Amino acid sequence: MKAKKLLSLGIAGTMAVALLAGCSSSGSSSSAASSGDTATSEASAASTTAAGKVYYLNFKPEQDEQWQALAKVYTEQTGVPVTVVTAASGEYETTLMSEMAKSDAPTLFQVNGPIGLANWKDYCYDLTGSDILGQLTSDTYALKDGDATLGIGYVIESYGLITNKTLLEKAGYTIDDIKSFEDLKKVAEDITARQDELGFAAFTSAGMDSSSDWRYKTHLANLPIYFEYQDEGITSTDAIKGTYLDNYKNIFDLYINNSTCAPTELAGKTADDSRNEFLAGEAVFYQNGSWEYVNLTQDGTFTDDDLAMIPIYFGVGDEANQGLCTGTENYWCVNSEAPEEDIQATLDFINWCVTSEEGTKAMANDMGFVIPFKGAQESSNVFVKQDQEMTAAGKTPVSWNFTTMPSENWKNGVGSALTAYAAGTGDWDGVVTAFVDGWATEAALNATA
Amino acid sequence: MQNSKNTKRVNAVISVVLGLLCVAYVYPIVLILLNSLKQERAISTTRIFELPSSETFVRLQNYIYGITSMDFLSSFWYSLFISVSSVLLILLCCSMCAWYITRVHGKLSTGMYYLCVFSMVVPFQMVMFTLAKTADTLKLNTPYNICIIYLGFGAGLAVFMFTGFMKSMPVEIEEAAMIDGCNPLQIFFRVVCPILKPTMISTAILETMWVWNDYLLPTLVLDIKKYRTIPMAIQYFRGSYGKVEMGPMMACIMLTVLPVVILYLVCQKYIIEGVVAGAVKG
Amino acid sequence: MEKAIKKFWPVFILPTLAAFIIGFIWPFIWGIGLSFCKFTTVKNVQFVGLDNYFKIWQDNTFVHAFVFTTAFTIVSTVLINVLGFTLALLLTRHVRGTNIFRTVYFMPNLIGGVVLGYIWQTLLNGLLTVLEKPLITLNATYGFWGIVILMCWQQIGYMMIIYIAGLQNVPTDLIEAARIDGATSRQVLTRVKIPMVMPSITICTFLTLTNSFKLFDQNLSLTGGEPAKASQMLALNIYDTFYARSGAQWKGIGQAKAVVFFLAVVVIALIQLRLTRSKEVQQ
Repeated sequence: MKAKKLLSLGIAGTMAVALLAGCSSSGSSSSAASSGDTATSEASAASTTAAGKVYYLNFKPEQDEQWQALAKVYTEQTGVPVTVVTAASGEYETTLMSEMAKSDAPTLFQVNGPIGLANWKDYCYDLTGSDILGQLTSDTYALKDGDATLGIGYVIESYGLITNKTLLEKAGYTIDDIKSFEDLKKVAEDITARQDELGFAAFTSAGMDSSSDWRYKTHLANLPIYFEYQDEGITSTDAIKGTYLDNYKNIFDLYINNSTCAPTELAGKTADDSRNEFLAGEAVFYQNGSWEYVNLTQDGTFTDDDLAMIPIYFGVGDEANQGLCTGTENYWCVNSEAPEEDIQATLDFINWCVTSEEGTKAMANDMGFVIPFKGAQESSNVFVKQDQEMTAAGKTPVSWNFTTMPSENWKNGVGSALTAYAAGTGDWDGVVTAFVDGWATEAALNATA
Repeated sequence: MQNSKNTKRVNAVISVVLGLLCVAYVYPIVLILLNSLKQERAISTTRIFELPSSETFVRLQNYIYGITSMDFLSSFWYSLFISVSSVLLILLCCSMCAWYITRVHGKLSTGMYYLCVFSMVVPFQMVMFTLAKTADTLKLNTPYNICIIYLGFGAGLAVFMFTGFMKSMPVEIEEAAMIDGCNPLQIFFRVVCPILKPTMISTAILETMWVWNDYLLPTLVLDIKKYRTIPMAIQYFRGSYGKVEMGPMMACIMLTVLPVVILYLVCQKYIIEGVVAGAVKG
Repeated sequence: MEKAIKKFWPVFILPTLAAFIIGFIWPFIWGIGLSFCKFTTVKNVQFVGLDNYFKIWQDNTFVHAFVFTTAFTIVSTVLINVLGFTLALLLTRHVRGTNIFRTVYFMPNLIGGVVLGYIWQTLLNGLLTVLEKPLITLNATYGFWGIVILMCWQQIGYMMIIYIAGLQNVPTDLIEAARIDGATSRQVLTRVKIPMVMPSITICTFLTLTNSFKLFDQNLSLTGGEPAKASQMLALNIYDTFYARSGAQWKGIGQAKAVVFFLAVVVIALIQLRLTRSKEVQQ
């Protein structure tokens, strides 16, 4: 009896498996085209004789879809299979570590600057003499180690305070009223005072979820580092002093106290929440970068006239002439350990991306990038245009010094301390400790490597 | 009389307390179920305990989105295939191995037995990198052959459980079968296997729970360009693309939990018996 | 018969042995070897002797994780076993609804680690918000108790089943004899029942101890080690060192940490087995 029961159970199980198998194979084939997180664009590869293949481990989650699409176009044109995998936000290093150890390792990956390069330079192909290097408009975007060029910055970005001009006007101000930190503080606090009447807040929530806290632990933290470097006349250091941490505190306080939600709730908020609040017109200011342009305008919520990006005023130096934070932390590296034909295929692919009609268009319009290459298309991105105007008007862009931060671990330490400070479970001293002492500790660890 | 009346009263109180505890036990899952039917913005921490209202109820929208955006069905298929194939392989190979170990005395048997016991205490982190590399070199990185890795890493527990049971099995029946002219393979499949059934079930449960729910091993071993199991997909909902999609994530959690719960309710008798058999004999 | 089976060894033992070598023995030996090396991938391995083992203690996260894990292991092992045993006692009293209770209490055990973590994160964060307390990722104490609650919820049912079986195996005449001799219920429990179920207690403590000590998935998904690695347990700390930190030195250190972790697990398992085995009644 028992045996029979079991047998029937087993048969039922097998049938279920078979059924599900049927379901999923049809399900995945239909969804592969639409989702394609890990979809491989190998479709037409079978018939061609292309030897090499490209595996790109993409760093920028926002542009995942666009890269998948561009890879597909390239495969259709040339028959070279291009796989794009995007690491989850905050897990690029983990994924890269794990993938590089495999035999089928990424042929194209990213480092975020000199510090990142130090870890991976043994795996970077020397790009000297390659076609793509010749396409660069300026040598400053080539990441060098001695004589060798190991990385190529492929996108220049700006960040600042994205402003909803319409709402700002409703509150009785224009962007010309904000020329310094004091102005910003005055406007923000005035909006908060009249929040119930106006129906919106000054800042979107400063989401500190670990997928999103890069806006503060990295981008905002760039400012105290930048101004300290300016003072000292240096470009990197093993021991940060934290001269301007009080200003860092001031602006962070401004963000969290004049926001759409209570500071205690920030730990669970994400950049996505923040964007949605901005899209819903719940706040005037949103700290983020030019890469957000596509997200803000694609469904017609905002037109170019509604939006502006203003510098993150910090209360230091010549604020009237401060520009946006402009630079790059995205350097392409080609895996030197990859087979010869894959290296060639990868070089061809990135060169195509920055020279061909489809590639440059996709990068300029779909991804909203400004690329430092000769073949670059004029970007329609309003934030990019603003950056160019500001620079033309003689304002000094704030350079991206967070590429000199000693490690991801340091950033995470600052992020945790900031989150705790915002929630009231930690004090500002914790942030200072993480910032100053953490920097020294991590730099020392790097030095012993 | 007085005493038994008292016992009855105490038992009634216990029943009520245990019943309340049951509710507390089921509540987390019910909470997720309710929230998976709500709108994204009604799932914030402040509104998590609200029931879906006509305004926030979105029917199966989260489920549809979760399934399509994460290609959940293929994840489900990979997880299912990996679990079924690995567990079947483990049961077959390890029971055979265990029988050999108990019936043949020699260095190979003793060595194998102690290695298996030893492997049970080794944490996965000890071998995570080298195992991933080995699997990669041998191309054991697809859902269709990762079962060999699972057999290798899961063999310890299974062999241990099987030998624990077999030690108490009388050898006479097998000897009688041998005299009747059966070869060892026939003896194993016709005589030993039927006796092993309860241990098979308990081992199957332990191994299934492990493989189905495993996160780290497939993350490191599988070719992430092509395959993603359910735990990996769920992890991807967080922090992927700079956002956390709570609604679809909860929908996918429900889709992961429900089949397991249903399977459990259907064959709970075997599962509970299996756990007991495994624990007492092991 | 032994000889006949021995001839069939390639069929019986070879598949398992082969997979075992691939899946365990070789990676294990290689892992020990790599703990003495500096490497990023296996292509640039460089022998550094005991360097990695000294460097483990340089960043204090490992020691912290060790303390955190130990505290967690003790608390959860005690709680899970005491509660599991209590439930087993109550469920062997033939109260109404025993079967339903048993079914429900066992159920969470089948749900996976990552999923469990997210379920409880949602619930606990909701509760903490209602109580106007900071979220679980902000406070290591909440994180600690969060993982304890989660593990209790998951594991109590399993242990309970084993204890029920153990209690049902206690011969009733033994209990009756004790009662006739005038033993109170408490004495029956401490002098008869508990000694008789000692084998179950051994198994259960062994299981909870190793499960808690090696916990990874639940830790990763419930708190992720936040705030600032304060709720990071050993397994997660090793993973974090190994994969999340960039720099060639970290992988070797991570591997060395794993070896230390492994030795700790072995020592704990041995001590625990010896302690409880000595208390078991010879039946």
